[in-house]
Amino acid sequence: MHNKWRHALANPLALSGFIIIFSILLLAALAPLIAPYDPNAIDVKAILLPPSLQHLMGTDGLGRDVFSRMLFGAQISLLVGFVAVGIATSIGIVLGAISGYYRGWVDVVIMRLVDVMLSIPTFFLILAVIAFLTPSIWNIMIVIGLTSWMGVTRLVRAEFLSLRGREFVMASETLGARDARMIFIHMLPNSLTPIMVSFVLGVASAVLVESGLSFLGLGVQAPQASWGNILTDGKEYIQFAWWLSLFPGVAILLTVLGYNLLGEGLRDVLDPRTNNTR
Amino acid sequence: MIRYLLKRLFWMVPLLVGISLVSFLIMHLAPGDITNTEASFNPKASEESRQKLRELYNLDKPVIVQYGLWLKRMVKLDFGTSFASHQRPVFWETKDAEGNVIKGMIQEALPITLLINVLSLGLIIFAAVPLGVVSAITQNRPPDRAITLFVFIGFAIPGFWLALMLMYWTGVVNDWLPISGIHSLTHDKMSAWGQMWDTLTHLALPVFISGLSGLAGISLFIRNGMLDVLHQDYITTARAKGLAENTVVYRHALRNAMLPLITILGLAIPGLIGGSVIAESIFAIPGMGKLFYDAVLMRDFPVIMGILTIGSALTLLGNLIADIAYAWADPRVRRGVM
Repeated sequence: MHNKWRHALANPLALSGFIIIFSILLLAALAPLIAPYDPNAIDVKAILLPPSLQHLMGTDGLGRDVFSRMLFGAQISLLVGFVAVGIATSIGIVLGAISGYYRGWVDVVIMRLVDVMLSIPTFFLILAVIAFLTPSIWNIMIVIGLTSWMGVTRLVRAEFLSLRGREFVMASETLGARDARMIFIHMLPNSLTPIMVSFVLGVASAVLVESGLSFLGLGVQAPQASWGNILTDGKEYIQFAWWLSLFPGVAILLTVLGYNLLGEGLRDVLDPRTNNTR
Repeated sequence: MIRYLLKRLFWMVPLLVGISLVSFLIMHLAPGDITNTEASFNPKASEESRQKLRELYNLDKPVIVQYGLWLKRMVKLDFGTSFASHQRPVFWETKDAEGNVIKGMIQEALPITLLINVLSLGLIIFAAVPLGVVSAITQNRPPDRAITLFVFIGFAIPGFWLALMLMYWTGVVNDWLPISGIHSLTHDKMSAWGQMWDTLTHLALPVFISGLSGLAGISLFIRNGMLDVLHQDYITTARAKGLAENTVVYRHALRNAMLPLITILGLAIPGLIGGSVIAESIFAIPGMGKLFYDAVLMRDFPVIMGILTIGSALTLLGNLIADIAYAWADPRVRRGVM
């Protein structure tokens, strides 16, 4: 495994993704220390100032420091990404494992449920749920998690189905291993690679969804800063204050790009099947 | 072929039931009586309309009965009337007491969204196939690297941000393209060609925005498909018998690499429909996405449920068409070999 990781970081895709993500994680973690201003402090004497040494990314319509808000926005976007995809991956592992291990009618029911969820346009589904709950960061995480577990489920199921036919699994079954042992000791650890890749790629799309929702005013609510809702302000002032729109967009782009590069890079390295073709 | 079709249609029934169940569950997510939520968020909902809603969804009856009755109304495509816009029918036109025809909200919004989605699909196919092919035949050389970079950026760029930037660049700074709505104010006075041009220039940015991530995805897909196919034996045979490289690539390889594209395009439909929310609300286009967004803001419950159901039905229809097209294009599928 250690060797694999070293191998992964020698892959230029994975390495550049890793560097981007690591820097953003670091900035988010250190936000309270490096933010020059309180992200929510309103300063009427400093409204819509362009970037300068005092305000690295300028100020917004309420005189708040955009750089500080961006740093705290990074925390939000990472938190939402990891928690939402954590929820989705847990659901996916449980349902996929049940489906692939027990097969039969349970499998049919779960797979039909996946088909149903995939036929409802995801963004509509998310918005519909949010319409009935109140928009808040916790609801956003839960809703994104509950609407994006289908891919992982299919993936884990497929892994389990193929592992079931492998000799070491059959040997263990012949020795009378209980279901739990089969699932947790033998099959799940051997499915971790694709699960990890899909986790990383999942965070990328969760970050995009969260910022889209916040941009539409249905995600993280003001005054809490998120990259999406900084952009909402940017839209209002686009003719006078380009910095309000530029920085959050670039931040989202870089973050999503970072996760995608890391995910694709990991897939290239960890999955022997794609090694030859690419 | 007929047997395949019947089997395929049969499988849609449990899906439809499932979709109706999920929608029904969502509607019961709201804590307490949905009419209360409605009233607290939407001051326009009078006691009368709340009573109507209670009757409409039979909230006084047991949940199972409610679901049955709701299903029955869905089968008849009866989605009720909107709260927010003066009792307009959600789905299709009806006549009021004086015999005037009132257009349905989805009836007016759907063609616009369909037009945008069809144009996006067209853009995706016509741009992604050449990009993917070029990328595959120049594997790991500069053109491939450039296209791959474009693909990664296309995946990562937030659509609403790109929309804002393009709006600013083409509409505010340069005045090249109109940036909101689907018609100019003078649309009615234009010639037929002028009207078409007017609509096209209004739709150019929204179509580009809603197609971009699909474009990136499909060109990557074509690239990988081509790489797979180009390594197969029959391609080596074709080359060995001295066929021109172009014939090998376009006649032999591309046809096989494009086959799965049919299914992928079918699967892209829910994303396109869902993605219309952002593009349409930014560019103020009165399609399904904007209608849905406004309905969510107003908590206009019948409209939300109507669009959710119609959107899912469209997705199923799209997948069905994709499967039929696939069976038509690949004899192995309809004979049940694959």
